[in-house]
Amino acid sequence: MKKVAALILAILITVSCIGFAAAEGDITLDVIICQYGNNTTNWFTGTGINGKSFVQLFEEANPGVKLNLEVVSWNDVYTEVSTRISNGNAPDILNIDTFADYATEGLLLPVKDYCPEALYNDFFPSFIAQSVIDDTVWAVPDLASARAMYYNTDIFTEVGIEVPTTWAELEDACLAIKDFYNGEVYPWGLDMTTDEGQAAFSYYAWNNNGGFVDDSGNWALNSDANVEAVKFAVGLYQNGYTNPRPATQTRYDLQDMFGAGKLAMVITTNQLPTYLKEKNYTVNFGTAALPHNEGAASGATGVMDRVMAFKDDAYPDQAARNEAIGKFLTFFYSPEMYTGWVSMEGFLPAVSSAVSFLVAADPSFEAWLSVLDSCKFYPTAKAEWIDVKQGVINVEQNALLGGDVKALLDELQAKVAK
Amino acid sequence: MNTISVRRKWEPYLWLLPSVLLMTVFVIFPILIVFKLSFSEISKAGVVGRFIGLENFRAAIADRAFAGVMLNTLYWVVSVVGISTLIGFIVAMTLNTRFRGRKIARSIVIFPWATSLVIQASIWNYIINFEYGNLNNVLLNLGFLKDAINWRASYQIEFIWECGVGIFVTVPFVTFCVLAGLQSIDDAYYEAATVDGAGFWKKLTLVTLPLVRPSLTVSTVLNIIYVFNSFPIIYTITKGAPANRTDTMVTYLYMLAFYDQRKGPATALSVIGFVLLCVVAGLYMMISMRKDEI
Repeated sequence: MKKVAALILAILITVSCIGFAAAEGDITLDVIICQYGNNTTNWFTGTGINGKSFVQLFEEANPGVKLNLEVVSWNDVYTEVSTRISNGNAPDILNIDTFADYATEGLLLPVKDYCPEALYNDFFPSFIAQSVIDDTVWAVPDLASARAMYYNTDIFTEVGIEVPTTWAELEDACLAIKDFYNGEVYPWGLDMTTDEGQAAFSYYAWNNNGGFVDDSGNWALNSDANVEAVKFAVGLYQNGYTNPRPATQTRYDLQDMFGAGKLAMVITTNQLPTYLKEKNYTVNFGTAALPHNEGAASGATGVMDRVMAFKDDAYPDQAARNEAIGKFLTFFYSPEMYTGWVSMEGFLPAVSSAVSFLVAADPSFEAWLSVLDSCKFYPTAKAEWIDVKQGVINVEQNALLGGDVKALLDELQAKVAK
Repeated sequence: MNTISVRRKWEPYLWLLPSVLLMTVFVIFPILIVFKLSFSEISKAGVVGRFIGLENFRAAIADRAFAGVMLNTLYWVVSVVGISTLIGFIVAMTLNTRFRGRKIARSIVIFPWATSLVIQASIWNYIINFEYGNLNNVLLNLGFLKDAINWRASYQIEFIWECGVGIFVTVPFVTFCVLAGLQSIDDAYYEAATVDGAGFWKKLTLVTLPLVRPSLTVSTVLNIIYVFNSFPIIYTITKGAPANRTDTMVTYLYMLAFYDQRKGPATALSVIGFVLLCVVAGLYMMISMRKDEI
């Protein structure tokens, strides 16, 4: 009896290793989607769309194409993707932020190979331009978010101050709030963590006519404007105007402090209202443009994520595979799916056909769309972007410990420009 | 040779086969792959390229954070293993005496070990939080404090907290290893020592310590390995920030591989860590076994 049981077990294990082959003629696409919020998984694979999932609806509408779709958290997605690439098992479709490394190493398919023309023309051209290397478009935007300054209106009324627009006004406001509450309320939120310290760099550099690159697109990390910008941001911390641990308190910690009324001002994404509502915070707030240095133009930070398709040279029918990828994109960006997806997590759309739907549902969207128009984006199309992103975070954290900003940025520039 | 003795000879290997297979697939094979990767060029996207000799090792060691991280790792392993061994030994001695509620005390001691490390670290994160932490709340409510204290005022203090959490979760393991050793000591030894006029310290150094040394050796070697490789505490509390000042080798190589996308130097570092561990654990075992022979 035991022998029979062992035999059955062995057979079961073998069968489960082989897996279930799809029906002949079907194409199965491996898709990795990043987890943007609490609803992402349910929307794609659960019961988030009127009791059905995106995968279910897609497969009903596109017989012959199956999706093996996995929702992965942002913390794990880089690990998972690079491990899969190392093992020669890259996904067919990937949703992530960066693309330059994959493109320059020849792993991606050009967008024109699989994206239907009607859909391609629907993307905002300024967004598409962010995914071009050597005149080829390697990825399409899936959504965007823009950053703004949020301030607690009750605190501002109580202290009796105006919303700051320049750095000098910001310092005055911070001092007034600090004195008024005797340290009980942090005037300014600063996030220089490994999660998103590069955003902090952009908030200050772009509002001081500095930035990651110069006018001709070359790295210019150690420009005088950047040195001044980082010194200003670190100065806010040194003066006791910020949360106490900028190197370990993430944007989400700051948003929680803001919601709880412990933080007077914070720069964060346009999703903050959704976040506060979901966590039942009842703080009164207003939004404003990011404060800039006297004489410098105000620059907004936009963040964009992407969808890209990997090559699979071993696949026998490339044309059919490309067509299947195109079907996936067409279905995803159709207004019925896409508007639900974008508004669910409070993001901004990447295709123009979605705009009228979104504005009809929520008129406040209009203001954000105009902000998006003037946004600057990270130079993610440059191959050294990862080094720069991690590098500026390291510079900021060393500066918080008292390091010399100029020397640190010089060192980073020398390393990156090499 | 008859069939029974053939069976006797081969049967143990047959029973060991599944675990050997598992070890080969999930432990030995990956280790060999990491060794191979550490001598290869690995692109940011993860494509494995040509053989480049010791270049990855050179790059890893040349990094300005390397020396500090190694020093942190040393502090981390020595303080956590050393202090938790000392405390665990004392707790085990206490739990080995007869008192009411001993069973309850023993189960309470094992709690920190039975909880997942990520949960432990997250809870400590809440406890020592300046804005809403329990520690400040309790001390303020009891009147021990007038103003809230920032328990994480500098990265040095944060690192000490991390070591503290490490000790807290490691003590139970030492306690139970030593307790097992203590329980195997025959009471007759202590009776004989008492008759010879030995006091507490003499009994401790001449009877207890030599007899629990095998258990202490096992727990220390295992702890060196566990603590060296421990990732969740530091990753949850500080993520190595600011600027790698609270990183140990394991968290540092993770950030290197998956945040900085520098997988070549990261694999080189894990090879260095593996070799270091083998040497340290091997040396420790050799020294303590030689003492046993004397």
